[in-house]
Amino acid sequence: METKRALITGITGQDGSYLAELLLSKGYEVYGLVRRSSTLSNERIIHIQNQIRLIEGDLGDTSSMIRVLRAAKPHEVYNLAAMSFVKTSFDEPVATGNITGLGVARLLEAVRLVDPTIHFYQASSSEMFGKVRESPQTELTPFHPRSPYGVAKAYGHYISLNYRESYGIFTANGILFNHESPRRGLEFVTRKISHGVAKIKLGFADHIILGNLDAKRDWGFAGDYVDAMWRMLQAQEPSDYVVGTGETHSIREFLEAAFRSAGIDDWQHYVKQDPRFMRPAEVDLLLANPAKAKKELGWEPKTSFGQLVNIMIEYDIDLLTRLPHLGKAAHHH
Amino acid sequence: MHNLEERVECGEHLAMKALITGITSQDGSYLAEHLLSRGYEVIGLVRPGPLHDANIKHLLDSITIKESSLTNLAFIQSVLRQVKPDEVYNLAAVSNFALYIKDPVGSHDINGNAALVMLEAIRTTNSAIRFFQAGTCQMFGTPITSPQSEQTPYTPVTPYAASKAFAQWMVAQYRTQHKLHASSGILFSHESPRRPPDFVTRKITQAVAKISLGIADELVLGNLDVKRDWGFAGDYVEAMWMINRAKTPDDYVIGSGKSHTVREFLHEAFTAAGITEYERFIKADPALMRTETAVLEADITKIQENLGWRPKTSFKELVRMMVMHDIALLRESL
Repeated sequence: METKRALITGITGQDGSYLAELLLSKGYEVYGLVRRSSTLSNERIIHIQNQIRLIEGDLGDTSSMIRVLRAAKPHEVYNLAAMSFVKTSFDEPVATGNITGLGVARLLEAVRLVDPTIHFYQASSSEMFGKVRESPQTELTPFHPRSPYGVAKAYGHYISLNYRESYGIFTANGILFNHESPRRGLEFVTRKISHGVAKIKLGFADHIILGNLDAKRDWGFAGDYVDAMWRMLQAQEPSDYVVGTGETHSIREFLEAAFRSAGIDDWQHYVKQDPRFMRPAEVDLLLANPAKAKKELGWEPKTSFGQLVNIMIEYDIDLLTRLPHLGKAAHHH
Repeated sequence: MHNLEERVECGEHLAMKALITGITSQDGSYLAEHLLSRGYEVIGLVRPGPLHDANIKHLLDSITIKESSLTNLAFIQSVLRQVKPDEVYNLAAVSNFALYIKDPVGSHDINGNAALVMLEAIRTTNSAIRFFQAGTCQMFGTPITSPQSEQTPYTPVTPYAASKAFAQWMVAQYRTQHKLHASSGILFSHESPRRPPDFVTRKITQAVAKISLGIADELVLGNLDVKRDWGFAGDYVEAMWMINRAKTPDDYVIGSGKSHTVREFLHEAFTAAGITEYERFIKADPALMRTETAVLEADITKIQENLGWRPKTSFKELVRMMVMHDIALLRESL
């Protein structure tokens, strides 16, 4: 049988790197789309760089997407690229609309023109639910996005659905709830906490500044979620799937678990709140009902909330311990 | 009209200025007429190239036409600085199915992205400018409830509707986050003698005119039982203006509140032309049939209560107006 080829956009991101690992382990030839830039931010894929092929291309340009698809000849395309930090989208709505939203249509248009038998995965997001109409959320819950990121993702979701219904392309939308890992960017609250707690534990810092501690999220492990993406493209029929744990926890609970994991009990002493870190419009209670993914794809999250926090804390303590210069500098203060 | 904020006009220097995208369209031309009648100075943005002025020929001496890209932020910012409008009406759209299904990406530039670019340009040049976005009942897709109100969820099933939903949500975003006076109208089907002939209503009135003058003897249609909420475009542009003049920006469903079948439209059209035995002229073509699931019918309670708007032209009057126009037009050309 011919070796399967997959193209991943956003391969340098958290999800892209886990997905690349998964597909390599299944014997895929993996291509990654990267933006043209003088420096490649490749810290998440450096360990697999010899096994994957990177192609430069621009989601802002349909002809560039056509060229990339012709070069990689993928059987499967995973569109994970996005301006993913929700707070940035409030300051950069036009660029967010162009890449996170219209970028989906450009890539699908290229799929339609180059090879309409390609199976296409679109990374939809629980941010589309925004001001939620019902809880928990399923594939049938109406969208009411409250950030430019959520609006752009909702457009991407619908245009992907249109390409399925109007043009007969195999497009699957994974509505992913928050998924974290040691590879999460430091601007995300979970990683900010695990990194901050590790610094406090090692004596490099004495506090963390956070926004709203009562915000609740359905948090899972990114390594589990990329398996759901792959399963969607192997299904008989394309469809939309909610991917989440079905449990919510507050940022306060994440904090408690993180400090506990690092062996610190009186966590309140180390946490300061700052309204600048609160969002202009907070989303309501996001809680996944992943029943359909379980029933149709046999997918379930494997990593519990407690395990996820432990993985992240252990990683960040290890990371900081291995940075001797930072250690010395911090101790001098 | 309870909530309307009227500006006292006591001299030409106080004339309000409105910028309209899509001014050459049915809605754009009626809106320009309406605003001119209210003493506005009207500026229309059109894409560079030959001007399609069939609908605005009679207005060309009273309005200003400017060529412009709709998606270049820097360009739109300079237009706003130059023109200094009080109000912007974003009506430009690629609404023709054959066009947007061929080019969903290019269509999104106009149907979705242009609204975002205009909102961002308003925010960064003069956030007091009031903005109206023309949305569509097509955003409801195949709605599960009828009639549809501002609360009905959007489930767009075409690229056009997906882009329009994108624009509508961005309007809400700028209203909440940046406190812009930005509003949307969710417009149900609105017709007029200026409707292009690829829409079923105009197709019918043109054919009925030909049949009544003896130069055609058949009319090929799809499903006659499809129900739509049809109103007169000339009434709906007044709603757009009232929405922009309201104290508080908001989203409003604009429709007639009544739905009629294509069959009823046919009956009124032939009746207006004085033809009673019309069944023999109608040919059904399965190729024109589309699957229809739910009835699109507007719930206009909110705009009636908040702004005091209601449609003035009845279904019967609308059909008659269109048929009479097409008969007169055809007589002139014969």
